[in-house]
Amino acid sequence: MPIAMEELEGGVTRVILDGRLDIEGAAAVDMRMNVIAGTKKAVLLDMQNVSFLGSMGLRALVAPARAIKGRGGKMVIFGPIELVEKVLKTSGVDAMIPIHHDLQNALAALQ
Amino acid sequence: MTGNGKETIEERLDLQSQLSDLARVPDWIERLASQYSIPSSLQFSIKLCLEEVLSNIVRHGYSSEADQSIIIKFGNPRENYFVFIVEDHAPAFNPVNSPELPPLCPPDAGRVGGQGIRLLRRFADALEYEPMPTGNRLSIGFSTAQVDVESGNRP
Repeated sequence: MPIAMEELEGGVTRVILDGRLDIEGAAAVDMRMNVIAGTKKAVLLDMQNVSFLGSMGLRALVAPARAIKGRGGKMVIFGPIELVEKVLKTSGVDAMIPIHHDLQNALAALQ
Repeated sequence: MTGNGKETIEERLDLQSQLSDLARVPDWIERLASQYSIPSSLQFSIKLCLEEVLSNIVRHGYSSEADQSIIIKFGNPRENYFVFIVEDHAPAFNPVNSPELPPLCPPDAGRVGGQGIRLLRRFADALEYEPMPTGNRLSIGFSTAQVDVESGNRP
């Protein structure tokens, strides 16, 4: 799964995921996400182009989110499709990583 | 509904108990979807449920032993209803009545995983478990009945 990064104003890092966060996808992003978790404090996880999310993918999000929070930082999820959002809400991950569909609201949540 | 051995099996996929072999499943589902007109929203649920079941079999049922067998059978017993039957030779485990772990909150809780069964129950329309003489048989049913015809989305 491709993963791209973009530095935004206000010290926010936009991490863009593209494709399936299934077993393979989760393994592909795991190391990069852990590096991001260790170096960034305000992360906007852009999931607009994530077409699938399973429980292995959830692990790839939760561990970095917890690490960022432990360092005093914040992470939000931006723009998941309906079914991906249903996975996030069913698992309770949205309580840990807030979901936003408006970019300005997402950025404000990271300040 | 399912799991009684009497349904007509249309297709079958044989897997080895390696996470890498599970990567064959999404493409197989997409081929079935094309052949049997399975809507995209249902494909998502099918891939999700099978990923949860199969990864649990590999990691927990077979304790990551790589040379064990998992079989997935596909049936279309009636219009707008699809069944996937997963058979393994792992120790008995019934995901239908296993207790669910709570959702992943509060945020400072140490647990990362444990959401597979919860997701399976929420995204499948029917689950039926049958213990086998040497393993497990789980039938997972999916219906298009609640899929919005125009958008292909489920409520």
